[in-house]
Amino acid sequence: MGKYYKDTEELYTIYGYFLDNILKDPKIGSKLARAGIVIKFIYTDPDAEITIDLKNPPKKEGYYGTFYLGKCDIEADVWSSQPADHSHRFWHGLENPIAGVAKGIIKQGGKVTAMLKLLPVIKPTFQQFPIVLKEMGREDLIVTK
Amino acid sequence: MYGNTGKVIHINCTTGKTQILSLEEDVYKKFIGGSGLAAKLFWDYADFDAAPFSEKSVLIFANGPLAGMPLSGTSRMSAVARSPLTGAFAESSCGGYFPPQLRYAGYDGIIITGKCTMPSIIHIAQGSFNIIPSEELWGKTIDEAYSAIKERYGGRSRTLIIGPAGENGVAYACILSDAHHAFGRCGLGAIMGSKNIKAIVIEPHQTIMKYFEEQKVKRLIKELTPRIKEYIISQVLHEFGSAGNLEGHMYTGDVPVKNWTSNFNEEMAEKLTGSTLTEKYLTRTGTCAYCIIACKRIVKVDEGPYSLPEGPGPEYETVAALGCLLGSEDLAAVCKAGRLCNEFGLDTISTGATIAWAMEAFERGDLTEKETGGVPLQWGDMHTVINTIIPSIARKEGPLGHLLAKGSKAAAKTIGRNSINYTAQSKGLEAPMHDPRGGGHGHALAYAVSPRGACHVSTAMHFMETGACNYPEIGFEFDLEALTDEKKPETMVLATAIGSIENSACFCQYADRSLTFAEMVGILNAVTGYNYSLQDALDAGWRIYHLKRLINYRFGLKAGDDALTDRMLEPARDGEPQGIMINFDGMIQHFYELMNLDKVEGIATVDTLHKYGLEQEAALVWQKGK
Repeated sequence: MGKYYKDTEELYTIYGYFLDNILKDPKIGSKLARAGIVIKFIYTDPDAEITIDLKNPPKKEGYYGTFYLGKCDIEADVWSSQPADHSHRFWHGLENPIAGVAKGIIKQGGKVTAMLKLLPVIKPTFQQFPIVLKEMGREDLIVTK
Repeated sequence: MYGNTGKVIHINCTTGKTQILSLEEDVYKKFIGGSGLAAKLFWDYADFDAAPFSEKSVLIFANGPLAGMPLSGTSRMSAVARSPLTGAFAESSCGGYFPPQLRYAGYDGIIITGKCTMPSIIHIAQGSFNIIPSEELWGKTIDEAYSAIKERYGGRSRTLIIGPAGENGVAYACILSDAHHAFGRCGLGAIMGSKNIKAIVIEPHQTIMKYFEEQKVKRLIKELTPRIKEYIISQVLHEFGSAGNLEGHMYTGDVPVKNWTSNFNEEMAEKLTGSTLTEKYLTRTGTCAYCIIACKRIVKVDEGPYSLPEGPGPEYETVAALGCLLGSEDLAAVCKAGRLCNEFGLDTISTGATIAWAMEAFERGDLTEKETGGVPLQWGDMHTVINTIIPSIARKEGPLGHLLAKGSKAAAKTIGRNSINYTAQSKGLEAPMHDPRGGGHGHALAYAVSPRGACHVSTAMHFMETGACNYPEIGFEFDLEALTDEKKPETMVLATAIGSIENSACFCQYADRSLTFAEMVGILNAVTGYNYSLQDALDAGWRIYHLKRLINYRFGLKAGDDALTDRMLEPARDGEPQGIMINFDGMIQHFYELMNLDKVEGIATVDTLHKYGLEQEAALVWQKGK
């Protein structure tokens, strides 16, 4: 259990809604799809695993990728591991991922450079994430600093 | 002595005589090597009244103690002089293969004074130093001269060469090592040219490095090499080159576009970024000696008006300065322009920045066709940039070539009409392609207080502010926000020390990002035996920084010269940083307080200089000041 999420299911609920929005957004999703990779996010406290498949054809029409909440057998091209709290702050645009690596907060492997290329693409989502939280009635999770 | 050799070559080009100077180990303990050692030698040997192109001017190259060590990021050296661009302290650092060979030959540096009577090269081989008339090389591009030298001396010789720009005294001419690695900044190529030296050639030497703790050094190399390789920044650099994060920089507003009039152009970033370069034109990577990162790009453009044979490709600074800054999205054109600068021996940052200033001046009507000799200056017109503007600068041809060869500050002073306000420089050195308004307000402070002028690598602020490094052992854990002044002066204090250490030990600032500060000091100690504590190392860094400021003081610079132009400080017009003000005055005032710098003279107080063991220097400057 971390500062923001009481358990894994709560994290999945919020991230699921958020990723659903991102992957069907024509501007952001189309750019993400160009990466053509499978990304696995591994979170601690609470422990969770989310896989984003940008390589295989999307399972849903109108989407640019597919995400999986929980353990997933799809082979990842790149993985990133970090505390869930850090990720939560990252999606608010409050954490510098390079600094996270420098401090040892973020661990990663695989095609790291391909994932890094997505950082500019996902920057607009930093404004969307608080909106998502509000839509889900979770203003209490909105972080400003 | 370990690491360093205690010997420096002094070559007098007027007399042709060579002297080997023996330096006490204490000099190295105080100034480490590289730019610190070079600054100390400059202090001791320079004629401070000599103009940059005077026969009495001094050009100094210096290795760090790690040169020749088979560890990524240690194959660099520094060069120091009085800059023809700024009139101030000039320093630049360069990687490649020359530094190890100088070390293997048994020397820590080269001091060059005087002037050859005719175009010559300096040849170093097996303990002999010769000035060899080489008039046939004069006028050749760097590539042409490089090929001729290789043919004459063999493929394993290493070179430092100037191009036509250096020969003609362009204020921002550079020196290239083996035609790919650059002492890019401050016009050192023009100093070399003013001495009629076309090249310095060193033959391959075989030697065994002497380490104070040999087994520890070997262990460190074994442990650190894979870590350096796997570090995230190293991976990006290897795969995409230094322009690999152009898109990221653009999104933060860090990339100046069209002479700093814009801070965002998404399409431009996509077209010019490092991954695009990799996909479209990269043929292989290049590297410095022993470096596993291999960030250098070797590119080839097969088709189109800007086709290129295989050769050096652009760094981030080149892509931004000759692309974004000029309003061009044509990556092939940028590669061509960068290659052209390499061949002529021009600093790409100052070239791009000076042309960008001129483009805006032309657009405004401050610069007329009469003053350009009829050359139209239009944003994004890379045909004119490549075919007319850059060659005219290098050759100092026509009114435009003569004007722009001075650099943007001097050119603006010539033109007048308040055009100085939209230059982007400090002390006359054009700013690198990181806009403090978006990249971080601490950059503004770094540009102003860097001894050589606007610079993001003389200090460590660029990396500290962007989160690329973390030094809890010396009180820095990243928690900075880019677009504020909060904690920036305090960070700058550490940054000056760290940057001085990096540039004096001659660590590559890409490779050492994966090291802790304690590890950097540990490497130094294992090689040299100096037994620096962390505080000792920081003190050495601050000592070097203060010495450089004293050098500038003797050139007539004072506190007021630690300044930025209006363009660099006015709120950004678009992008992430739109409308945000930089509290520059507050930051620099606080930095001066923290560093005990006199707010008028711009140099450290007597007590502070004494604290760092600069008693003699303090006596001289403060006596002179009175």
